[in-house]
Amino acid sequence: MDERILVEKLKQGDETAFKTIVETWQNMVYNTALGIVQNPEDAEDIAQETFVQVYHSIGSFKGESKFSTWLYRITVAKALDHERRKKRKKRFGFVRSIFGEDSEVVVNPPDFQHPGVVLDKKEESAVLFNAIKQLPENQRIAFTLHKVDGLSYQEVSEVMQTSVSSVESLMHRAKTNLKKRLEQHYKGLLKDQP
Amino acid sequence: MNSKPELEKKIQQVLDSLDGIQRAEPRPFFYTRVLGRLQADEKTIWETMGSFLSRPVVAVAGLCVILILNGFILFQQEKESGIATPIVNSNEIVTDNEYILASSSSFEYENMDQQ
Repeated sequence: MDERILVEKLKQGDETAFKTIVETWQNMVYNTALGIVQNPEDAEDIAQETFVQVYHSIGSFKGESKFSTWLYRITVAKALDHERRKKRKKRFGFVRSIFGEDSEVVVNPPDFQHPGVVLDKKEESAVLFNAIKQLPENQRIAFTLHKVDGLSYQEVSEVMQTSVSSVESLMHRAKTNLKKRLEQHYKGLLKDQP
Repeated sequence: MNSKPELEKKIQQVLDSLDGIQRAEPRPFFYTRVLGRLQADEKTIWETMGSFLSRPVVAVAGLCVILILNGFILFQQEKESGIATPIVNSNEIVTDNEYILASSSSFEYENMDQQ
């Protein structure tokens, strides 16, 4: 069914249209969230939140951008919110542990393995995802949208509501930073070797 | 990987490791879970509203608003009907006088009986 018809039907409260929307874009939304938060449970949570938001605020979608672009924007915003909440929780847990109060221990997760990576590149991609995590927010989003979601620079610029040249600059800086971090990572490994 | 070219080659391999990546998929029955989330969220709105209204500050403020509204309405009604002065009805005075007379006459009658 055409994207615009689906959106119009959802605006009228059609549940079948909502089901079609979820089933059409669930992989895209989940994959984007997974690329950013690097945790399957959190990504599932964010994907659900994204569709709930779509259901509630479809009325505010004016059709000025593509529906998928709007969906990407919501997903990215939700994923970043989720990360901020998690960081706050981690910091709060640390402060509570200083005062001796019992709190949920937030354990750093092991290296992230993206299920879509080819088997012989699993180890290298885990190192890369770890380095991506340390990038500044904008560079991380641009790099993830381009490399993990396969969006073109033009599409990334539409999602991030910026110019293509800004995305090019973000990508360049992201690659330079990643190279530095990877160099540090492998030099550190060499030092640790007996 | 001891030499610089080897290190650079490795880094490039790592950077290219996401080439040809496939899209990850959520667990089956994702739509059912989204529906569950939607319903749970609707419940939460009512719960939030309930807990907001039951807060002492909100409850007291609500009570004050009701009392102020009541006072205002009463004030307005009195203002509309003019100043309420006690109007003495002449018939009522007569009735009262009759009652007094009647009672005094009954008293006298009882007194007479005792005599």
